[in-house]
Amino acid sequence: MFSKILSYALNGLEGVGVEIETDINKGMVSYDLVGLPDAAVKESKERVRSAIKNSAFIFPINKITINLAPADIKKEGSQYDLPIAISLLKASDQLLCDTDGIIFLGELALDGALRPVTGLLPILISARNKGFKRFVIPAANANEASYIEGLEVYALSSLKEVVAYVNGEAQFSPVAHRGYAAVRELKNYDYDLSLVRGQAVARRALEIAVAGGHNILFVGPPGSGKTLLARCIPTIMPDMTFDEALEVTKIHSVAGELSEEGIVSLRPFRTPHHTATTVSLCGGGNNKIRPGEISMAHKGVLFLDELPEYSRHTLESLRQPLEDRKITITRAGGAVTYPADFMLCAGMNPCPCGNYGSAYLQCTCTPAQINKYRTKISGPLMDRIDIQVEVDGVKYDELAGDSSAEASAEVKKRVNTARTIQHERFSGEKEGMINANMGDKQIKKYCSLSPECESVLRAAYENLHLSARARARIIKVARTIADLSFSEEILPEHILEAASYRSYEAGIR
Amino acid sequence: MTYTDAEQNLIVLSAICEMNYNEKYASLSALMSYTPDFTACENLLIKRSGIGVYNKVREKFNDPAFRKKIFDGLEKRGVECVTYASDDYPELLKHIPTPPIVLYLKGKRELLRRRSLSIVGSRRTTPNSLAQCKRFANELSEHFLIVSGSAQGADSAALEGAQGFAVSVIAFGFDHLNPQSSPQLQAVAQNGLFISEYYPTVAPQSFLFRYRNRIIAGLSAGTLVVSAGDKSGALITANFAADFGREVFAFPYNIGVSSGEGCNNLIKQGANLCQNPLDILSAFGLDLKPSFIVTLSDDEKEAYAIIKESGEIFLPTLSQNMGVPSYKLIPILSSLEIKGLICRLGGNRYSVI
Repeated sequence: MFSKILSYALNGLEGVGVEIETDINKGMVSYDLVGLPDAAVKESKERVRSAIKNSAFIFPINKITINLAPADIKKEGSQYDLPIAISLLKASDQLLCDTDGIIFLGELALDGALRPVTGLLPILISARNKGFKRFVIPAANANEASYIEGLEVYALSSLKEVVAYVNGEAQFSPVAHRGYAAVRELKNYDYDLSLVRGQAVARRALEIAVAGGHNILFVGPPGSGKTLLARCIPTIMPDMTFDEALEVTKIHSVAGELSEEGIVSLRPFRTPHHTATTVSLCGGGNNKIRPGEISMAHKGVLFLDELPEYSRHTLESLRQPLEDRKITITRAGGAVTYPADFMLCAGMNPCPCGNYGSAYLQCTCTPAQINKYRTKISGPLMDRIDIQVEVDGVKYDELAGDSSAEASAEVKKRVNTARTIQHERFSGEKEGMINANMGDKQIKKYCSLSPECESVLRAAYENLHLSARARARIIKVARTIADLSFSEEILPEHILEAASYRSYEAGIR
Repeated sequence: MTYTDAEQNLIVLSAICEMNYNEKYASLSALMSYTPDFTACENLLIKRSGIGVYNKVREKFNDPAFRKKIFDGLEKRGVECVTYASDDYPELLKHIPTPPIVLYLKGKRELLRRRSLSIVGSRRTTPNSLAQCKRFANELSEHFLIVSGSAQGADSAALEGAQGFAVSVIAFGFDHLNPQSSPQLQAVAQNGLFISEYYPTVAPQSFLFRYRNRIIAGLSAGTLVVSAGDKSGALITANFAADFGREVFAFPYNIGVSSGEGCNNLIKQGANLCQNPLDILSAFGLDLKPSFIVTLSDDEKEAYAIIKESGEIFLPTLSQNMGVPSYKLIPILSSLEIKGLICRLGGNRYSVI
């Protein structure tokens, strides 16, 4: 009257196997679920009871004890419904077959159907790394599972089917493996740079930013197209490799935001509203620690429009992840690390009224107001934004004109070339290093400046009111500009161009 | 710092907060003896504040404890005074109808002996006028001590152009001045001089700025107005300067530029139109020393010529005119900006300086 069934618990993106032990004894009728279950797991009792009854089995009326081992890890989510039901059937001798080595995951509907669960992909990957091979999952999760090789995954649609499968009463074929490339081909971005009219300077800055992985800030009047430009960033970024796509999909799977295809093949573009809290941006939560927007934007773009409107506290919390490219969220229940390797793109108005620097409209702000508005963003955060560029208020002629602009595909080719150059240069460094991630050591090593460049840089520093901290950023951007023009050396013109992308600092005195 | 009896009397008088400037000035009856004769302002003070205040003022003036407090306070703050009775009281300031009784100083006192020119303007000034203001202050500071206020915008640009070797006249006590609040004021704290008419504890009040402006105008041989709206404080300074018989100069502006309406009005009323530092220098019979020569590449020359022709240009327009893609123009413009020939107006527009 005892049974043991395998399932899996997830903590962040890593997990451990969970054994569901059921013991049915004679005695007072009761149902005890132990092993740190959360509310969703506790409630499984009612779902399991109805599902068993409606699948034409019998729910045992005895003293039932169910233990989720290891007992010291919190069990969250609804994926334990199915293993609990199977374990009950087995302990009550309604199921006599062998279930060793099979991991069961799934939420039960009252009629016995299987409902999808969140976080399946990271579970499969983590379990595969721990040596598990066979899985029974809900049919709705089949797509997610189909990208992982070397597993025997059965996607079934009801408790009856699961029983039939383990009993060997019916033949089911495992989920077929699908290639990533084929899926990638089908998807396309909704935006394209050819939709952007005018904005020659902003386009150029965007290309440099993506080529070197630099964070970028658009400063421009309302309605000048900052958001559209930002939306085009993923379209010119290099395609995601399968490993990258899997990493992103894992996070989206945990957050339960996976679409039909079961894999995220396009670079994510996240736009949290400026009322976002620190927790929503960085991740957190009471029971289950959910990934925040910065992790959802992993390998993609985090776009913060109206940057000064975000609360200071929220913005400051971005500093550490921008540096470490991951975030560790610690709560009373434990700590979870989510990757957060995103490109930050921000948009803001040049002043509170939005018209500072406009050729057509009068700005009504005092310098003190403008300064106050701009200093809402702290120096250390601005330090991490290498490129600041002004977006023009577009004239009607440019909007109406038919002159077609360069499409994303063309720009992407150049970006890819620049990335290849960087990849070769940093072959001896940390994996995946790009210009924007260079530290002082690498700058010294890879960005030697000729005396001529030094003098240009000095003149720029003195005449353009740059802060001393701007130096390293200008050099990094100059390195990217040099890469884009296939120049081995950094030339004075590269320094000059890089210095011009400091408009935010030089803009107001 | 030691003061003569006459100076001490004036300092104590100026620190008495119960009297306003007119009453203090009246009490000095012709500024000859430098010892206040309170009967002279008796009617004025009693009528305004009552006999109680009048008696308190007299008592305070003769109270040794009060006097000690005043001088200790100045010493503690490192503030020096120059009074109407002092030898180095600025000569030009003596000749205005309402000279300050005492000037409180912080910084290099010897600067007061130099011939000075005030540069004033509004806080809201266009970027190219700011750049001009800086250039003028820089070139004129060879011949003049630059005098200005402490506000942002034109005042700060003037102080910056003079690299801090300038006088900033403030309209409140030194306790309320924070030189760290801007790099320009920091430079003045290092190289220049702060002047205030008020004892260090006096708090800023909007009406005090008007009185401050008469000191700016009074200290200087001439006043240059770089920007002024319809009702700008800079116009008050200019009017004071004109009343005191000093030269007034103003930048000309395009029609419709709101921060230039006041300047154009001044020119209409007879102020000197000022396009070039030489305009100011020649009014005083001086000459400009040759400025350094900038070398430009061919591209830079071409771009500069086009920008100069239209005064102000939008980057894509320039790119069209030159037939060069705009990203190739960015380093050229950046270089011209660094060489101090053009400035950015925001929104990718550039203007000549």
